Amino acid sequence: MIQVSSLVKKFGSFTALNGLDLCVETGSIYGLVGVNGSGKTTLIKQLTGVLRPDSGEIKFDGEEVYDNISVKKRTAYIPDELYFLGNYNLKSMGEFYRGLYENWNAERFNTMAADFGLSKTDRICRFSKGMQKQAAFILAMSTMPDYLILDEPIDGLDPIMRKKLWGYILGDVAEKQLTVLVSSHNLRELEGICDSIGILSNGRIRFQGKLDELRQDLQDMSLEELFIHAMEGKEDA
Amino acid sequence: MFQLDLKSRKSLYEQVVDGCKEMVIRGELKPGDRLPSIRDMSAALTVNPNTVQKAYSRLESEGWIYTVSGRGAFVSEGSHEPDTVRQEAVYEKMEVLMEELFYLGVKGEDILSRLKRIIQERRGEI
Repeated sequence: MIQVSSLVKKFGSFTALNGLDLCVETGSIYGLVGVNGSGKTTLIKQLTGVLRPDSGEIKFDGEEVYDNISVKKRTAYIPDELYFLGNYNLKSMGEFYRGLYENWNAERFNTMAADFGLSKTDRICRFSKGMQKQAAFILAMSTMPDYLILDEPIDGLDPIMRKKLWGYILGDVAEKQLTVLVSSHNLRELEGICDSIGILSNGRIRFQGKLDELRQDLQDMSLEELFIHAMEGKEDA
Repeated sequence: MFQLDLKSRKSLYEQVVDGCKEMVIRGELKPGDRLPSIRDMSAALTVNPNTVQKAYSRLESEGWIYTVSGRGAFVSEGSHEPDTVRQEAVYEKMEVLMEELFYLGVKGEDILSRLKRIIQERRGEI
């Protein structure tokens, strides 16, 4: 379970996150939505321990995430902007990851590389944007994570690859209670995949809940309608 | 297999329920056949495993399938109780279509004779 309470993050005089609370249950897929600049990536960078919160807590199964290697070993993160080591190909990236993650699964790595049809010997920097995303995804899933944090994961991927990618994630959710937090603007895609949703606005979660419960309360509103509704409500206040 | 329509007003969970029923009705799944596991169904439809779980529970409570712990879900033998629900739904669709025919100026007798012909065709009388 991921629990965030009273999280505050400031950059100079700008307050990015202002007392944010959030909860992602184990084995759940949580969709994080919010307008541009609402703080999604700032939140994700703290969830992954890249940035340190000014105040507040972020706990994974009760453990603080910042500077905590045991949590990070069980967490995979695919950022919006990918980074690969200069001259590395998929094979050498795999070896690098194997040294970092003790649950590294070489069999899955090989299966997935073949499934996605990626070369293991061509340099990753020569891959297309979509192929680099696939490479990042293969590496992440081969670490056999308990937590998966995805920042705009489906950007630049074709529908066939998206379906394949989600297939692997949903399989791990069903089979081993993988906990997923995903930020995206593709609300329609999130609607089928997520069971919970959080709407981020002005540095706080404005709206959080289980999707099927929300839908009953709001008479089968689509996620897109719900999002617009929540954002308009903000302007009234 | 079937596809989900994310644009539909029908909830995804109901679409999974109906999709499975269709497969049974069309004979793609026969009594005693094993349904895809929740994991496989979820991956194939790109839908949250909870949605599939919920759909399977509903199918089980309606008597379409039964589960064997550790082995999965199987299609039940024999007739299914909720056929009447489905029949009623189709009748409702038919009413909408009849209404449309009336608007187009078709007479009741013409509709009836057309229906009779369809029934006769089914029975092999024509």
